[in-house]
Amino acid sequence: MKSHIAKVSQATRKWLQPDNLSLKKAIDKTVEEALFSFEDIKFQIRTLKQKVDSGQVEEWAKRANLSETKNSVGKKVLCLHAGNLPLVGFQDALGTILSGADYYGKLSKKDPYLLSGFLKMMDEADLDNQIQYSTELADFKNLQADKVLFAGSEESVSPVKEKLFKLNAVNDNTEFVIRTAKFSIAYLDNEDPDTLRDMIEAVFRYGGNGCRSVAVIVSPFSLSKVKCHFTDYVEEFWLNNPQLKKPKEALAYQFAYNKAIERDQAWLDDFLVQETDDFPDQEFVLNWVVGDHDKVKELRSRFGNSVQTVYRTGESIFGLDTEFLSMSQTPDLWWEPDGIGVV
Amino acid sequence: MNPYQIFDESVFFEEKVLKVFKYQIENNPVYGRFCKALGVTDPANIDEIPLLPIQAFKEKEVITATKQLSANSYQLFRSSGTSGMQRSKHIVVDPDLYKQSIFDGMWEFYDLHDYVIWAYTPGYNSNPNSSLVWMLNALIEREDSGLSKFLELDKPLLKNEIDEIRTSGKKLMLFGAAFGLLDLAERSSVDLAKDAIVMETGGMKTFRREMTKQDLHEQLANDFGLNLEQIHSEYGMTELLSQAYSRGSEWFDCPSWMQVSIRNPENPMQEVEHGEEGLIGVIDLANFYSCSFILTEDKGVMNAENQFQVLGRWNPKNLRGCNFLIDRD
Repeated sequence: MKSHIAKVSQATRKWLQPDNLSLKKAIDKTVEEALFSFEDIKFQIRTLKQKVDSGQVEEWAKRANLSETKNSVGKKVLCLHAGNLPLVGFQDALGTILSGADYYGKLSKKDPYLLSGFLKMMDEADLDNQIQYSTELADFKNLQADKVLFAGSEESVSPVKEKLFKLNAVNDNTEFVIRTAKFSIAYLDNEDPDTLRDMIEAVFRYGGNGCRSVAVIVSPFSLSKVKCHFTDYVEEFWLNNPQLKKPKEALAYQFAYNKAIERDQAWLDDFLVQETDDFPDQEFVLNWVVGDHDKVKELRSRFGNSVQTVYRTGESIFGLDTEFLSMSQTPDLWWEPDGIGVV
Repeated sequence: MNPYQIFDESVFFEEKVLKVFKYQIENNPVYGRFCKALGVTDPANIDEIPLLPIQAFKEKEVITATKQLSANSYQLFRSSGTSGMQRSKHIVVDPDLYKQSIFDGMWEFYDLHDYVIWAYTPGYNSNPNSSLVWMLNALIEREDSGLSKFLELDKPLLKNEIDEIRTSGKKLMLFGAAFGLLDLAERSSVDLAKDAIVMETGGMKTFRREMTKQDLHEQLANDFGLNLEQIHSEYGMTELLSQAYSRGSEWFDCPSWMQVSIRNPENPMQEVEHGEEGLIGVIDLANFYSCSFILTEDKGVMNAENQFQVLGRWNPKNLRGCNFLIDRD
């Protein structure tokens, strides 16, 4: 197992090297096809490189107690990767391979080049695991996987399972790990420049996509109080990280609706910030809630499984597991989607 | 504009709509702000008129009025809901307009003279501001045989009362919320007369049971001893003062002053093609004193005959996050 972990770590580092031409090609192709912005890809890769270079692959294996006797060798794991942000499937792929399991990945057609480059590198690393991937689900016909990982809503579970059963890719004993978290909440208790920059990163990186991104801010300050200040930082962020995907017309409708009911809001060209404690159900929308720690707890409980993480900018929130806001888009490799570890 | 002109079939629907729009944009602050924010103040045709998200009835008083209303000058309807849940509030300035909409709407599809009205409304009794109960009460009061009534809760149907309707030369129209009717049927050991109509008013007010509408109707037909064609549905809600009806199929028809369209959830100004799912939008001119242009949170589909089907609630909760299904290729 030790040598397996070392090989995985080495191949990952190799893939992340600046002189890796195939990675450069994958990035170019992804940008060329307007799948993700260059800035978002660069950010993601830089984050992963920092984590891997600091020894997190080995640390992850250690934390999961991977050993000759405790591993997933021989298990077939099918990962159905989403494609809402660049390399969103990286953690599942790396974790599965690291555990020793045979990896079968259904790659998203929205992110087909980046992850496949990493998997190719793994495939060439002389590992004992099977590594197979495709953008077609049908390619996993008769797989009979032991475990399936995918992110989706509760309603999506049945149709996905049905499809997999039809393909004979799973059986009655297959374990399904389904992630339902959709967004994160942050508590903002100060207006320091660093805190605001962290907040902007947490909200606007990847166009607000991904369950680690903040869709709800709870703060003792009202939106009208911080609006101008906040907007300056957003503009600064967008200057360096232009948002690739633009909101749909429904957002103008939401803006008009907020006007109709006299709800405080800020229209930031490609994003809408609105003062409401409603469930955040639209893309490119940030809900601002005036409240204290108790309000955070109430929302955490009301929004249930849809919440990935609660972030804090200052002191901890009694009775709630929280993370520092600055970690929102730069999580450790072993972060736990929906509270469940990958390895 | 005289609000009762909405029932005048000699005037084109579009002409009435544009007049009502003009009146409402000028005299309804909520709707006025909404349209102005969208830059629509002088639409050339119906398609350009924005539909106000129905949620507004929970957040604000949606009133079209030229002067301030006093507290006793209107009828208040509220949606049902559990504690802590935001409830819709519909202020009805002219209840007679609602009454005419109820009666004329039914007349378009049923010969009301022929029917005795029974209503079974267990879940609604705790809501004194129920628009459905008000509507049923109006229908019961207008019927002159003395046989129309609200049925007592938790009591079975009685054969002699069913026979009495037949003897009077009338037919029975039995109203009730979906699962209330199922319970009533379970409790009763008599069949209804073959010409009776069961009018299911939607809603799951008493229980939370998983069942498709088709299955529900089949079971109701079976339990009441009727053909499936005798199981009808009404599509209405607190925020609307008109109702659409489906008569023995899953497709609903509107009365002449009401129009349904299916809207693109990503751009509600746009209608989707026939057969495509979307949000149900309603123009209800009977909402003369509130807002006639409503975007519901219901999912629906339209056919080529401009009939619509209700497919349940639209669930927007899946738009964010890493959803594998949304990633469909």
